[in-house]
Amino acid sequence: MADQSKFWRTVIYGVLFLVAVYYLLPLYVMLTTSVKSMDEIRAGNLLSLPLDITFAAWSKAWSSACTGVDCGGLAPYFWNSVMMVIPAVAISTVLGAVNGYVLSKWQFRGSEVVFAMILFGVFIPFQVLLLPMAQTLGVFGMASSISGLVFVHVVCGLASTTLFFRNYYVGIPDELIKAARLDGAGFWRIFFRIILPMSTPILTVTVIWQFTQIWNDFLFGVVFSSIESRPITVGLNNLANTSTSVKEYNVDMAAALIAALPTIVVYVLAGKYFVRGLTAGAVKG
Amino acid sequence: MGALAIKNVTKSFGDTHILKGINIEIDAGQFLILVGPSGCGKSTLMNIIAGLEAPTSGEVHIADRVVNNVAPKDRDIAMVFQSYALYPTMNVRQNIAFGLETRKVPKAEQDEIIARVAKMLQIEHLLGRKPSELSGGQRQRVAMGRALARNPKLFLFDEPLSNLDAKLRVEMRAEIKQLHQRLKTTIVYVTHDQIEAMTLGDRIAVMKDGVIQQFGSPQEIYDAPANLFVAGFIGSPAMNFIPCHIAEQQGVIGVALQGEGEPVFCALPPRLAQAGRVGQAVILGLRPEQFDLAGAGNGVACRIRIIEPTGPDTMLFSQLNGRDIIARVHPRHAPQPGELAWLAPDLGKAVLFDAVTETRLS
Ligand SMILES: Nc1ncnc2c1ncn2[C@@H]1O[C@H](COP(=O)(O)OP(=O)(O)O)[C@@H](O)[C@H]1O
Ligand SMILES: [Mg+2]
Repeated sequence: MADQSKFWRTVIYGVLFLVAVYYLLPLYVMLTTSVKSMDEIRAGNLLSLPLDITFAAWSKAWSSACTGVDCGGLAPYFWNSVMMVIPAVAISTVLGAVNGYVLSKWQFRGSEVVFAMILFGVFIPFQVLLLPMAQTLGVFGMASSISGLVFVHVVCGLASTTLFFRNYYVGIPDELIKAARLDGAGFWRIFFRIILPMSTPILTVTVIWQFTQIWNDFLFGVVFSSIESRPITVGLNNLANTSTSVKEYNVDMAAALIAALPTIVVYVLAGKYFVRGLTAGAVKG
Repeated sequence: MGALAIKNVTKSFGDTHILKGINIEIDAGQFLILVGPSGCGKSTLMNIIAGLEAPTSGEVHIADRVVNNVAPKDRDIAMVFQSYALYPTMNVRQNIAFGLETRKVPKAEQDEIIARVAKMLQIEHLLGRKPSELSGGQRQRVAMGRALARNPKLFLFDEPLSNLDAKLRVEMRAEIKQLHQRLKTTIVYVTHDQIEAMTLGDRIAVMKDGVIQQFGSPQEIYDAPANLFVAGFIGSPAMNFIPCHIAEQQGVIGVALQGEGEPVFCALPPRLAQAGRVGQAVILGLRPEQFDLAGAGNGVACRIRIIEPTGPDTMLFSQLNGRDIIARVHPRHAPQPGELAWLAPDLGKAVLFDAVTETRLS
């Protein structure tokens, strides 16, 4: 009996281990390749450990690799992305929270229709937005700028963030709002003092979700930006596609890792809350 | 002085009419109970009194002032909710202080109020705890503390005890009663529990389907229920309803009751006999305690099917005129199941209902 359960446990862990290896292998290859020199890459095989660790490729990818005609590395793109992602995540999350609060706790005539329309927004393929959005940005004078990208990401993220918060807040008992109203609190005081402090799990989920979406976005980044406002995904693409005499795999890998690093960091820092927020049953997404 | 008056209040959600013309008036210091089965509109009426919802028509007066257009916070009321509705991210002290802060009560005065309320409800040692670290009874106290801190003209309690276990419920019931006797504040208290209604209220409003069935003192409602619904809802075990025909024998007006043997003619007291109605179908309402065990040959012979000893009393389950009845008797003389018992109904306190309209005949 005990032997049998031990056997199955071993099998299960064995399978899990293999799956983990399978998923981690690309990361391993990227990491090791990025710290090898080109000589070593040519001589060795893909899976071998680096003999001589060097960060030259990282440094080149960051500050001197060529992305098209100019050769300043990924750094400017990286900072563009930072300048874009922080306000875009903050604004879309805050607006989503307020929307969700209104749609769940201050329903008005027609609020269900508004919610249904927002829900519809989650399923709209972003490609169909490109032309109207380009015109809108033009009208607002935000075309090809970072603020334009922020605007696009806020608008396109609102449907999801509203849905997240609305579904989470629906689970908060209405009596709490009633009690606060009798305590003399109004719309904003209830939001800031009662609702927001209860929102840590869903805030974390939304921030991670939005950060990942916006940081990794390529479509809007490539369509709505100019030379000075290109985000990191576009930079990475340009770097990998710039034809040089030899393909510098180590630089490509380092660049890809630099592009992925912020999302990895966010997951590591807040991943625990992310899982908790998802399993709280508050989110469909 | 009128503490609360509800005048012709109706409430509809779309096409569903939840409240259909509610009229209630109570004086300052009274303890009003709204009792009725779940879904009859009690919470809706409470929310209207509190101003959390607007009535479709009608007026609400608090302290002789029409408050229909007064915001909840300005109605000088406090409410205790069924789920307690404590703010989960605040500790007990902050929960009580929240309303005071909102009303800009000076900090020193806040501390004074919190200390007084905490002492009164014996929650001083809990002030630093979060609601999630409290037991059900403690949460209940904190919810009451939050209401008391305000020192309002009117307290609203919406089923405050229904989430507690039976023993705690009895304790808290006594405590609420004591609190009322001490503070003499007007209280409106919602419950679906008829024992709570009887034990706590000065005035009881029995509701069903958005209509007040009867409004009166607990004893009035117990002794003279307005209709079959009220009679069956208040009292435990419920009143026995025995279908009969009013008959006249040798100038005496009465009803025939039949258990195991021949029908037995029982005279009605003058109070009920006056109405006449000879030959009409009525429903005789007899509470379980209005039966006595009589010696053989007296009263009505009934076959006992089950007995339920409760300690002080024993409940006898039998049948009269083809209906199940329960009689509450002293355990010492209680018969055994299957035996024949002679039950003597005391019609002195009996009530009669019209068989069709189900209202009480008087
Ligand atoms: N906002 C609402 N919209 C539609 N129906 C409602 C609403 N609030 C309550 N009701 C309905 O009104 C009826 C009475 O509810 P309620 O007052 O909560 O009953 P009680 O407190 O007596 O159990 C219920 O049938 C309920 O479904
Ligand atoms: Mg209710």
